[in-house]
This record gives sequence, C-alpha cells and structure tokens, in this order.
Amino acid sequence: MWKEYSASYIKNNRSSSLSVRVAALICALLLSLLCGLFYNLWKYEVENIEQEEGRWHSRLTGELDAAQLETIRNFAHVEEVQIYEPENGGTQTVVELIFDDKGAVLENTPKLAELAAIPPEKIDYHHRLLAMYLIRDPNDTAPRLLFPFFLLITALASCSLVAIIHNAFAVTMQTRIHQFGILSSIGATPKQLRACLLQEAAALCAVPVLTGSLIGIVAGHGILKVTNLLLADMAGRRDVVFHYPLPILGLSLLVTMLTIWFSAWLPARRLSRLTPLEAIKNTREWQLKRRHKSPVLALLFGVEGDLAGSALKAQRKALRTASLSLVLSFLAFTLMLCFFKTSSISTRETYFERYQDAWDIMVTVKNTRLDSFEETEQLQSLPGAASVVVYQKAAASRLLTADELSEEMLALGGFSQASAQYVTETADGWLVHVPILILDDASFLAYCGQLGLAPRLDGAILLNQIRDVTNPDFRHPRYVPYIKEESAISILRFAENEETTAQAPVLAYTKEPPVLREEYAKLDYYELVHFVPLSLWNEIKEALGSPREDTYIRILGSDRSSAEPLRALQDEIGRLLGPSYTLESENRIDKYEVNARQIQGMELIFGGFCALLAVIGLGSVFSNTLGFVHQRKREFARYLSIGMTPAAIRRMFCIEALAVAGRPALYTLPPAALAVWGMLKLSYLDVSEFVAEAPFLPIALFLLAIVGAVALAYYLSWRKMRQIRLAEVLRDDTMI
Amino acid sequence: MEILKCENVRKIYGFGENQVTALNGIDLSVDKGEFVAIVGASGSGKSTLLHILGSVDKPTDGRVIVDGTDLSTLNQTQAAIFRRRKVGLVYQFYNLIPTLTIEKNILMPLALDKKKPNKEHFEAVVRSLGIADKLSALPHQLSGGQQQRAAIARSLVYRPALLLADEPTGNLDQKHSREIIDMLKLSHHNLGQTILLITHDEKVALEADRIITMEDGRILQDEKRR
Repeated sequence: MWKEYSASYIKNNRSSSLSVRVAALICALLLSLLCGLFYNLWKYEVENIEQEEGRWHSRLTGELDAAQLETIRNFAHVEEVQIYEPENGGTQTVVELIFDDKGAVLENTPKLAELAAIPPEKIDYHHRLLAMYLIRDPNDTAPRLLFPFFLLITALASCSLVAIIHNAFAVTMQTRIHQFGILSSIGATPKQLRACLLQEAAALCAVPVLTGSLIGIVAGHGILKVTNLLLADMAGRRDVVFHYPLPILGLSLLVTMLTIWFSAWLPARRLSRLTPLEAIKNTREWQLKRRHKSPVLALLFGVEGDLAGSALKAQRKALRTASLSLVLSFLAFTLMLCFFKTSSISTRETYFERYQDAWDIMVTVKNTRLDSFEETEQLQSLPGAASVVVYQKAAASRLLTADELSEEMLALGGFSQASAQYVTETADGWLVHVPILILDDASFLAYCGQLGLAPRLDGAILLNQIRDVTNPDFRHPRYVPYIKEESAISILRFAENEETTAQAPVLAYTKEPPVLREEYAKLDYYELVHFVPLSLWNEIKEALGSPREDTYIRILGSDRSSAEPLRALQDEIGRLLGPSYTLESENRIDKYEVNARQIQGMELIFGGFCALLAVIGLGSVFSNTLGFVHQRKREFARYLSIGMTPAAIRRMFCIEALAVAGRPALYTLPPAALAVWGMLKLSYLDVSEFVAEAPFLPIALFLLAIVGAVALAYYLSWRKMRQIRLAEVLRDDTMI
Repeated sequence: MEILKCENVRKIYGFGENQVTALNGIDLSVDKGEFVAIVGASGSGKSTLLHILGSVDKPTDGRVIVDGTDLSTLNQTQAAIFRRRKVGLVYQFYNLIPTLTIEKNILMPLALDKKKPNKEHFEAVVRSLGIADKLSALPHQLSGGQQQRAAIARSLVYRPALLLADEPTGNLDQKHSREIIDMLKLSHHNLGQTILLITHDEKVALEADRIITMEDGRILQDEKRR
C-alpha cells in the first residue's frame, strides 16, 4: 500500500504534512539535546565522585592473608583490587574492589566477605557512585535521586511531546479520512491502514529526526560550552567536556522514534477502527457539533467576527497543537522571565547589596586549622588589602534556662515555636546550638575596638539577638535581644558529647557582628553565635572537640571599585599561600558577574526551549493554513455564493489570524499576573520594585514574533485562496 | 445457483425516541449471473441494504450470506478481506483516490492483497470500459463519466462474486449515464457478472433482469422481467 498510495500522497501534499515534519524535528532536537546534556552531566557527576571519593565499588576491611587476597583478586567480575596494608602496627587490611559488572557488586561482595571471614559490618559500598548506575543497596536510605531525576525528566519530556505532537499527526490523518473510507470499502484491513499511516509517519519523520538529532547534539555542545564560559570563574569547578558517544546517540534516536511512533500510532489506531461507512460519510469539512456563539468577536467585528469565531471553533481540533504550543510557550517564557527577575531582585537585595561591604575576596584554605595557619600576619600586611580576617568555624551547644531569656524573647513565646531539630528541651532548660567563629587574634582585637571594648583575648563576644519568629517577612526582619546580658560566663558543651563542657568568659553581648561574609540564624533562628579569639580557642578546644576542617580568609581590598585590583590581590594571595595549601578563592565583583551570567544563561536555555515549543505551534499554524486551502476555498465559496464580498472574507480571515495569535496573550497574561503577585508575596518584594525592572520588552518581542509568524502564515494562505472560481469550487468533488 | 441470500434482515439506527428502522425483515435471494435493480423512494432503505450486502455495514438482526460467507460472523479484518475479494462497490461520487493515477486506483484491491494483476484481464476490463488511454491520468483530469468507468473497472478487477452499484449514474448527464449502464450490461453479459444496482431512474432499472421495489425498509415488489 505504501508504494501505491502513501508515496504519491506525501509527494503531492507537502504543505499539509509540514506540522508533522516540524513536530518531528523539534521532538528529535529536544530529546537529543536532553539525552546529550543528561549524559554529560551524569558523566561529570560520576567523575566528580570518583575524584572526591575514589572509583571503588565496595570495600572490605579485615585481617587478610595473601591467599585470601588472591581469592578476592580472582573472584568473578572483580576487575581491579586496591589493597591498603595495615598502618602503624595495626592488623586491618583495607581492600577496595572494582567490578567489571556493576550489577554484581551487591551480590558478590558479601560472598567475598564470607570467603575471607570478614563480618558483614566490615563491608562498605560506594553508595553514591553505585547509585549513579541505578544500583541501590536496600540499607542505603539516602535519596540519591540524580539519575532517576534525569530518567524522569526524559520520560516526562517524551510524554509531553506525545501529548503535543500526536495532534499534528491526527490532523494530517483526519484530512484523509474519506480516502481511508474508500480504501476500506475496497478491502483495506484496519491493520493495513494502520501500517500505511505508520509507514507514512516514518517516511515523513526520517529526515527531520536525523536533522533534529544533529541540531540537538550541536545545541548540547553549545550549551555546555556556554556553561563552561559562564562558570569559568566559579571556585573549585572543572570544565565539562562534551561527549556524545554512539550508544547515547542510539538511545536518543530510540527514545525519539518511540515518541514519534506512539504519537502517530494513537490517531492511526483511532482512524483504522472506523467502519468504511463512517469514514466515507465524513464530509472532510470542519463541523460544529452544536450551535456556537462568539459574542466578543461578534461585538468587536460584527458578522465577520461571528463567522470567524464559528470557523475557529470548528477548527479547534486542527488548531489544538497550535493553540496548546503557542499558549504554553508564551506562558512558560513569561513566567520564566518574571521568575528570574523576582529572583534576581531578591538575591541582589538579600545577598549582594546586604553583603556588599562585608567582603571583597573570600579564600577557603582547605583542610587547614586556624591554629596551624602561619601566614595571617603576612596576609594582613599585603599592600592591596585594607582588612584581612582569618577565621574558622566550630560547633558547640549551650543550655539556656528560662531565667536567662530576655523579656522580649519570652514575649515572643520563648522556645514554644522551636523545632526539635534545633532546640532540645531538657529538665533544666533548652539546649541550643552555638556556632563558634574563631577569629585570628589581631582581628578579634580590632573587633573589640569596633565595639568600644577594652582589647582582650581571654573571652567571647555573644551575638545577642533573635529574629521575631512571628514575622515571616525575611526581607525586613525584626530582631529582639535573645538572653539577658547578666551572665559573665558562657558554659559551652561539646556538640557531640554534652557532658564535656568549657567555660568562656563573656566580654560583651552585642547586636553588631564582625564584618564577615557570614549569615547567622538563617535556618536555626535559636542559635547563639559566639565570636572568640584564637587564643581563647586554644584554651578551650580540648573540651569542645575539633573545629571544622577548613579555614576562611575574608579580605577587604583597598581599591574596591573594579574587579582588576581584586583579581591582582587574589593572584598575590594565591602566590603566597598556593605552594603550601589547597585554596578556593573568589572575589565579590566576579561572583556578581558570574551570577548575572548564570541567570542570563538559564534565561537563554529556557527561552530556547520556549521558542522551540512556539515553533511547534507555528508549524502547526502554517500546516493548517496552507494545508487546508481547498477546504477553506469551498467554505469561502459558499459565503461568496450568498453575497459576501471578498473584502469581508479577507476581514474574516484577518480576524481568525488575530484570534489565533492573540490567544497566547489572552490566556497567559491573567495567570502570569497572578503568578507574579504570588512570587512578590513570597519574596516580600514591592510591586513598584518589580514593575521598575519587569521584563516587558522581551515578553512583548516574543509575542510580536508569534503574531508576525501567524500573520505570515495566514497571508501566504490568503494569497493562495483569493482567486476563487465559484462554480468550480462548489462543484469540485475531487479535492483533497 | 444462489450467490446471495438475506434472511429477515433488519437494520435499526439510533436509540429510544430517535430510533429509525431502515430495514425491516428483508428476505432476498439472488442467483449467480443475475442483474438486479433495486428501486425505491429516498429513505426506503436501498442504500442501507447495499451497504449491508457489501459488508460496509452490519445488520441489527438476520443473516446475509454471499457466496457461502455469512457476513454477520465477520470481524473488521475479515470483512475488509471479503470486500476486497468478493464484492465490487461502485458509488455515485466515484470515490477514487485523488492522489493516485487511474491505473493505481483500479489495481488497488489487488495491491492490498499483494497480488500481481492478470494482465489480460486488466487490459480487457479497461479496454471494454474505454479508459485504456487514461490510465496515467489523475482522477480530477477526467470527466465524471470517465471517473465512474474507472470506479467500475476497480470494482471488476478482482472478478468479484457481486458487483454492488449505488446510483452509479446519479451524478452524470444522460449520455454518460447511458455509457455506464452499457458498461454494466456488457460486464453482465460477457463476464457473467452478478450485479445489484440501486437507482432512482426507471429507465435505468428497466435494463435489469429483475426489479425489486423497496418502501419503508421492506421489499414491496420483486418482478422478474427476463
């Protein structure tokens, strides 16, 4: 049937299958892009994990002799064995195993442990790495959702594309329902009709699928390249190297073909099930099931508006893909821009502007404790640095009794609203978290000076404020004193063992923290921050345990006006500390620019997706207007035969175009306004702040592009349609 | 030899108050090689009967047996294969596939069966119908009469047991109508083709061996003329 029927149909009806071709192209493009991006992100994450935690799959720890090690080496699917001999006279050997078949890790490792007489509790699995291959140990309860998330998004994308493009197939197939009736009446079976339609779909989509896949690969490469450029300055980040191996190409083509096949199969199945009588009786003209009124169009444009409204209603199935895609694309584009705008205003106000003066350069000295860091003085004497604070963080807890709480804190309900995650109620009071910021001595003395205190290194300064938890407005928080400023001693408890305590003399209670790029009580409103000098920390650290691994350096530059002097200072610090330490360094201006570029990049990528969605819709509009010229000619011929003028018909056509192009705006603006109102409410931003920076121009340009393309489609169709030979059209029975 | 038999065939459309009885207990028998005309007013059930005989539609009750096949037992696929091999359908509006040449249109029932045409038979059919020189044309390039001849050629190409023609001259002028009836008679005489013809036109009906008159879904009269 393909040779006899479909080939000639495709050859003679290129324009009516345009929407199918466009849909297939975009489907292939999106899925190929998604597969490529997800594969590269997955690979990047696997490489990160392997770099950070090693590439082993499972690990055995125990007393092992040479024979046992040999057995392990020769065990099924064991590809590589890394042996760590016992250290410092110990007896425990650590064996890291890499399997050639990752599916065998969970099954073979316990067998290996049994052979080597190693108890099950001495088996470790690299859960994070294995989860990237969808291998999950039932005992590992961590979510590890990255790979499932990728799969879910791809499946969702595929389902969404089916929902959108199956209608393009349905419309193209629907136009020939009469022909299928003829074929059926001369003996074509439902299976033959279905096969014919699916073969047609395959023939129509072959080139667009290959082209779309190719564009998707190139786009994926481009996106990662742009991402690398945008994030080039981000501390501790590696570049993503784009790969698109053959199996991924195969997978992407398979997913695309399945998506397209299913999209075509749905309407093909429906059509092939029609009886020949139902199919032959089909008039090939759009019908209205019941009377339709278009009061708005009739009011605005009179009888032509009413007729255009009825025509649109009758075409609603044919225009469904177009309407859905155009409305969704414009809605998504508008919401995306509004979201990024509110988000960037919020970030700017809550982060960049609030911490504008708190830092210029931040350096993280990896795996180094402040008490062993010896370059503090050298840093503080750097010529380009106005202020350098070297500090480290530690954690402790403190018991607060009801008597110690301030009147204002009690008035807010004390700890009645505190989560058990942050505050533990005991018989004597409440145990709260105490973040300790250990400052280098010179900086602590400067901080004392800033607060007007006598310079001392034997006590702590407490940040004595708590946020009014009854006021959720995070943009304009209200603070009250946390505890009474009576106690001269703060008894701190070891975070991991509350029985071990240390006493820190209190030098002062303050509401003014030192100038650092730190946020306090962000999640845990009830934490009681202590600032201590290194000298005091050295005295109490035995009782309070180890501080966190890294040391931080906050630098304010002498010249803060541009990125250049900051970068020069960064380089200077790199030269000073680089040889001895592992560093991560960032500067305020670059970070601001990177953040802005990230948002621009995201807008570009999401905007690209929205544009692709719009292209599906516009493809469908072109297909409808150019593919049904004869059908519309017959419709218009009837109007002409009862005395309607060509000018009135042109007006009617224009009204249709206006309605198709205006629908996205009509359906998008009210929900978008509602969504923006919600976003402003959630982020506590003023409407005027948003309106001053609202992305009106790109939204208007997007809408104009839709309007322009729809107008062009209708114009081209009108050019084909305006020469109507009335008698001929009304008599013509062989029209497609 | 009986090629068609209808036993108490009823066809009801719609439900409840909207129920319409299109056929009401049709009993009919047609022998091989007969040329039967079915006449009746609009809405008398002629076309419904023809659709049921052609397995395009199914009866609500009763049995229809064509060339030994009980049509009521066929599923969709079997019915399609039956239509392809056992009946030829000719409609008032030709129903040719507009994107296929006349030759491809005619050969389509064979193509559906993946069968090669019998060249001699094909040439005999197109020659006798006078469209041998139109085979490479598209339907819209032919006159109505020529299109109808092509439709008849398509219905005859598989040598069907039964040729069912639904107002085949209804869309044609007198000259072309005459031509079409002559073609049908020719195939009846030369090939021994069994033909059931539905028509409004009394003159056309008079060309048949037997005239069946229908009214309100029943057979009112069954007159054998030859």
